[in-house]
Amino acid sequence: MIKWIKIALRNILKNKRRSFVTLLAIAMGFAAVSLFGGYTDNTYKGLRNSAVRGEGLGHLTIYKEGWLEKGKIDPDKYMFSQEELQRISDLAEEDEDVILATPRLYISGLVSNGRTSTIFLANGVIPRDEKTIRGAWASFRPVKGEGLDEKKSYGVEMGEDLAKHLDLKPGGYGVIMATTLDGQMNALDIEVAGVYDTGSDATNDKYIRVPFTFAQSLYDTEKADRVVVLLDSWNNTEAARKRLLGKLSENGLNCEIKTWNELSLFYSKVKGMFDMIFMFIFSIVFIIVIMSVVNTMGMAVLERTREIGTLRALGLKRRGVSLLFAIEGAMLGFLGTILGIVLNVIVWAVIRVAHPTYIPPGISTAVPLIVNLVPQSMLTLTVFLILLSLIAAIMPARRAARQNVVDALGHV
Amino acid sequence: MELIEMKDIKKDYFLGETVVHALRGVDLTIEREEFVAIWGPSGSGKTTLLNLVGAIDEASSGQLFIEGQEVKKLSDDRQTELRNRAIGFIFQGFNLIPVLSALENVMLPLEIKGASFSNAREAALGRLDEVGLSDFVRHRPDKLSGGQRQRVAIARALVMNPPLVIADEPTANLDSETSHKIIELMRDLNEKEKTTFIFSTHDPRLLDQVKRLVRLEDGMILDGGNEK
Repeated sequence: MIKWIKIALRNILKNKRRSFVTLLAIAMGFAAVSLFGGYTDNTYKGLRNSAVRGEGLGHLTIYKEGWLEKGKIDPDKYMFSQEELQRISDLAEEDEDVILATPRLYISGLVSNGRTSTIFLANGVIPRDEKTIRGAWASFRPVKGEGLDEKKSYGVEMGEDLAKHLDLKPGGYGVIMATTLDGQMNALDIEVAGVYDTGSDATNDKYIRVPFTFAQSLYDTEKADRVVVLLDSWNNTEAARKRLLGKLSENGLNCEIKTWNELSLFYSKVKGMFDMIFMFIFSIVFIIVIMSVVNTMGMAVLERTREIGTLRALGLKRRGVSLLFAIEGAMLGFLGTILGIVLNVIVWAVIRVAHPTYIPPGISTAVPLIVNLVPQSMLTLTVFLILLSLIAAIMPARRAARQNVVDALGHV
Repeated sequence: MELIEMKDIKKDYFLGETVVHALRGVDLTIEREEFVAIWGPSGSGKTTLLNLVGAIDEASSGQLFIEGQEVKKLSDDRQTELRNRAIGFIFQGFNLIPVLSALENVMLPLEIKGASFSNAREAALGRLDEVGLSDFVRHRPDKLSGGQRQRVAIARALVMNPPLVIADEPTANLDSETSHKIIELMRDLNEKEKTTFIFSTHDPRLLDQVKRLVRLEDGMILDGGNEK
């Protein structure tokens, strides 16, 4: 085998220019796919954090069965009672992957500064649990002002644009109005305890975060519409959902559980779009690599027809000839990916140093362009491109092996 | 048992609608240890005959036996193994692998067979020494003269210790002095190692060195059993 590898390598080096062009095509293809993969990896990570921490979706959200379908028509029927909330919380927190299980109540209505009013969507949260969920995200998008406080039940955090529309600053006062679960109009005073950037143009002028008890007071209820669960790692999401669903069902609690990615429409859409672009780039690279290797190996077979005849005359079997060219193809793939890794690292380093930023569509602030180096993906891509080059070489290699020995020896 | 036995071998080539009868019913027997020249003008069928004897081409009709085995009945893999084990080839254009050194070229048949590197190297060095190329083992073919390349080809043909070596116009690309030396070398190896040599030539100056001359013309043997 070493002999054939040696022959393959020397033949690659013999045709320096042609081999270099092929290696460059593979390398650039590798770098393009790997860099885009690194960019999407970072983007997915950011969006995941944004959904789980920023939007406060946690990893899992537990609803009473039927809430998602009929909850808006008859909310009271499909909300969790205090007793149910306690049992769910206890069961969830028994799980080794669960860090926290906290009740939530989503409310909506009108918010006013006394002169003008506008609609709002609010999330009733337990302030200390919210802090845990937000974690390090809090420093990435900090709240201007004091923020939610257990002791100040009427203190709320308001989206930046909404606060701007209502001309409210931290410390300012307003009123929010909504109908209770019984259909009565209710209004409560609020103090803007903090202003925050939701990160999205679509929500920055509508969102408010209120204390959980405040939301309950507004809706005149002691219930919650969901329980948000924070896990130790997003990788455990699916497994934890299965376990929790089983455990809740065993205890007579018929619930539905949604994962963070099912609830984050933005994440799903962006991921869908990036996955499509990735496939598009990958398909182009796939075609370029196949065409380059087939062309190079086809030329090699043509140029070395007499050599093939000689090897066959000396006793090399057809599969030996195929193997020889397949090794050459695989070696082109291997060397090409090595060059690709070098290119990838150079571009990655340049981006790290230059630190460019951009404003993505629908996002309210500039974000840095970050490309991750993902060793596992790079390794997978390396193996894939080597196999692809090998497969691409098999076609001309089989043609070489099928040649009649005398015809091959007589080839000029 | 004869080393080679050909019975009524015919070989036709089709060039469009034209049929070229390269061999028209050849009967030929070659014993072990012979030193045979196939002699004839260009287009007489010498190369076709050697290709068939070397099991790298298939006859249109007739039977060919090598060491008692009918070649036609062997699969492609078995024919390939037979070539590797029993037949050494010396080509007119040397046909050395350009990216390999002289030593690596000579080691090639042994490595194809699956011999270990050290055994292949030892045997190849021995053969290169026999053909007088001990000082050129690391040279690649493009750094060797025509005569040296043909010596490498001879060493490669002999490295498996085959009972038969086939040489198609081995001196065609060499000057007359080198040609004589190459034929002398082949003759020495034939006498010393008892290897059967069959070579084709159309150069009458080389014929005084052969033991047996087979004259071929228009695809037929005119004179096939001359002991000189």
